Amino acid sequence: MLLSLLLIPLAIALLLPLLPGDGRSLRTVSGLGAGLQAVLATALALNPVPDLRLPWLPPLGLDFHLGADGISRPLVLLTAIITVAAIAASASNTRRPRLYFALLLVTNAALVGSFLAQNALLFLIAYELLLIPAYLLISIWGGAERGAAASRFLLFGAVSGVALFAGILGLGLLGGGVPSFEYADLARQSLAPVTQAWLLLLLGIGFGIKLPLLPLHGWQPLTYSQTSTPVVMLLAGAMSKLGAYGLLRFGLQFLPQAWSEWAPTLAVLGAVTAVYGALNAIAQPELKRLVAYSSLGHMGTLVLALAAATPLSLQGAIAQMIAHGLIVALLFLLVGLVQTHAGTTEIAELSGLMNPYRGLPFTMGLLLLALMASAGLPGLAGFVAEFLVYQGSWTVFPLPTLACLLASGLTAVYCVRLFNRVGFGRLDNARADYSSTTLAERLPAVALAVLIALGGLWPQALVGWSEPESQQLAQRSPLPTSPLAPDTRIAHLPALTEVLLP
Amino acid sequence: MTVITPTLPPSTHPYADVIHRLEAGGSMLPDTPENLMQIIGIYKAYAVPMDFYWRDLLYIAERVFLNPLPAFKYFISQEYLDRPNSYAGEQSQLRIWRGTEKAHPELLEFMARGETGRMPKLLHHLWHDRVNMEFAEACMQAMLWHQGMGGRFNDYLESDAYRANADRAIKAYFKRNPLMLGLYKLFPDMFLEQVKQLSYYANLGLFWEVMAPVFFEMSDIYDEGGFKGVPDAMNFLVNGIFAVAGRPIYHHVFIDGECFEIIPKSEGFTWLYEAALPYVEAVFYRTAPFRGTKSYNAQAHQVPDAQKDFHYGILYADVFPVGSAGIPPTLLMQDMLHFLPPYLTELYRQHKRGEEDELIQLGITFQRSMYNVTSAVIQALRTALCYPLNDPDPEHQLANRRFFEAQMDRFLRPEARLNDIQVQSYR
Repeated sequence: MLLSLLLIPLAIALLLPLLPGDGRSLRTVSGLGAGLQAVLATALALNPVPDLRLPWLPPLGLDFHLGADGISRPLVLLTAIITVAAIAASASNTRRPRLYFALLLVTNAALVGSFLAQNALLFLIAYELLLIPAYLLISIWGGAERGAAASRFLLFGAVSGVALFAGILGLGLLGGGVPSFEYADLARQSLAPVTQAWLLLLLGIGFGIKLPLLPLHGWQPLTYSQTSTPVVMLLAGAMSKLGAYGLLRFGLQFLPQAWSEWAPTLAVLGAVTAVYGALNAIAQPELKRLVAYSSLGHMGTLVLALAAATPLSLQGAIAQMIAHGLIVALLFLLVGLVQTHAGTTEIAELSGLMNPYRGLPFTMGLLLLALMASAGLPGLAGFVAEFLVYQGSWTVFPLPTLACLLASGLTAVYCVRLFNRVGFGRLDNARADYSSTTLAERLPAVALAVLIALGGLWPQALVGWSEPESQQLAQRSPLPTSPLAPDTRIAHLPALTEVLLP
Repeated sequence: MTVITPTLPPSTHPYADVIHRLEAGGSMLPDTPENLMQIIGIYKAYAVPMDFYWRDLLYIAERVFLNPLPAFKYFISQEYLDRPNSYAGEQSQLRIWRGTEKAHPELLEFMARGETGRMPKLLHHLWHDRVNMEFAEACMQAMLWHQGMGGRFNDYLESDAYRANADRAIKAYFKRNPLMLGLYKLFPDMFLEQVKQLSYYANLGLFWEVMAPVFFEMSDIYDEGGFKGVPDAMNFLVNGIFAVAGRPIYHHVFIDGECFEIIPKSEGFTWLYEAALPYVEAVFYRTAPFRGTKSYNAQAHQVPDAQKDFHYGILYADVFPVGSAGIPPTLLMQDMLHFLPPYLTELYRQHKRGEEDELIQLGITFQRSMYNVTSAVIQALRTALCYPLNDPDPEHQLANRRFFEAQMDRFLRPEARLNDIQVQSYR
């Protein structure tokens, strides 16, 4: 099954150039492949399977070792779901459809490969592979400034890759004994504190760019705003989670001492990122950039949760990855629909889109739901994730947690501001000659919205994946409880799920 | 009528093109086949609910009267449904238009079945599957609230004669109700104000009693190929206005079989001056900011200080944001939707979002048609106050020009839709 998750998108990507038909049929084939992968990912999520290990280049310590624990499985499923939604959201008249859908599927395979890899070199290969199709997708199908966006993405991605390459090499080679890049071996080895600190710095740069985290975010707003809707769904919804996953896996799991030492710095960086992202989102005059900065802010909250490394915060971090992945994908999808039908994403040029006859009421209704989820309103997935993050982080880093809570409040500010300007007000007859959204356009948005609502009403769907792993990871990197905060750490996670579930 | 080419230099008014068209005997609405089709189609769709509006307005004014719990005031009696129109049908007092005297068959069919099918009248009412009398009442309230728009009607409501007539009717109506009579004693103006409002019910009912058969006949003539252009339709309205200009406006109340003449016909109030002109001024031009999706900030002077400067009527209404025009347009649009002629439905299907935004399209058609009605009123006023269009005297032509320019000045506000209706793509 693990191999199928990788081979299905790759095989279809290779097959697409040979298939006859137009963009519509190619989209159908790609969608079916991604759908099949999503079914398998769901099966994997429900029933874990044994690892698959094939020797590849043993002298280098490179094995084709795939496995899925409680951290990987939800992310593989998230990637599969977002890929299906992204393919469904792709226009049937996309230019060069064979290349386009093939690149989408290769991006998917690289992401899934990264999440499933149990060997650091294999992870690195998948991680680096991701850069190429993503770069092409941005540079060929992006907006007016796609060249600049793609170049910046490539530049930052290259720096990220080099830092990661150095960090992973250090992890495998500096441990003493027989060099190994197997996760199990990396988790067992004990490196000197100084070595750990340097390696964490390298890995932090690598994954911090991918996430992104302040001040490594320079590529993100431009790239997100200039990338086509389906691609940015994949980038923001799934690829950014690779940064968080890397920090969790490589930083917290393999370098626990350094993590403990540098966690306060990371927490402060996370808090600053959260506030910076939210404040910038408030100031944005354009929808895509607003969502981009919003996403940046939420990544800051995610880093806070990882830095705190309590069982609760780590479960919150996993939940936040899933919830944010779905929410940001939906937000970009809906903004894309606004762009397609209204012809612009400039906030100043849009108003009255809630108008039931001539506006985009369905799109705006779902946008309202997505914004509420983003702002962490109860009953939606964002609330569950943020509640866990704040609850879990408060005991360790109360001040950064408060800063992130402030950022969460600011999220509500830009959400209300955005909706007030775009959704309400007067719909101008002279400009508002919009066509209505089609059923095919609505379906992926509805599917994502249902999942977001499901995550809010059934929190176990978000937090139930990673209880054992969170517990183990938290024990590897224990942090002292802050004297500012009461010790409300929940030691036994089964009790947590009982609390959360009605 | 022979229209001669004006010898005046071209107007420099921002609406010079429209003024030249009016001087040539045309309408504010450009003369295109589609415009003609749109306005006639919507007149037909408007006439059917209007046939209910006027009957129920008179029913309320004459029969429901001061009922303290008028929950069933929209449940019109059969007598009023069968009431012969005064100007159409075999039994009419003065047959001017060719229609039948009783309620229109399409109206009766809709009242029986609605959109939902046959069910008790109360359920139709609660489900709003009915003619929305709220629209008619909003028009009446606009006339009541603005008052003072010409004619002597409003002055009469303040006279001793009116007070005495109303007093008799109030006492007769509540003669077996000591509680209400006691209240009347304590607050003598309370019921008097209600009666004044009911007089406006009667006023509007009598106005629309004339307009409904006019619109029906225009639709029939169009179906027979009788109208060649928008000016023909406008001239039919002008002729209609003059034909019934002197129709009496009155308010009678029937209590226990006895007729109380609150405003007797002998007062000499006429349809043109006491009903039509105040109606056009109050409903087409002024009305009031409607409690809709668009809010107005009076402190920021978004609402004019003087009522005469109000500009929330259909000639200014933005049909897009639901409910932002003065008179709730959605209610009328919903009413007209039931009775659209097939050619208009087909036209809407071909444009914009087709059936999905039919209500908006017909709202804008209604706006076009009301610009045509307003053109008829302007031409009628010009006939009454100024000079014929074929008058060769330059002084007279100049007077006509000044009259038209003064009328067009009212559309210089940015909210006015006069510019919009000049193009066919405004839908």
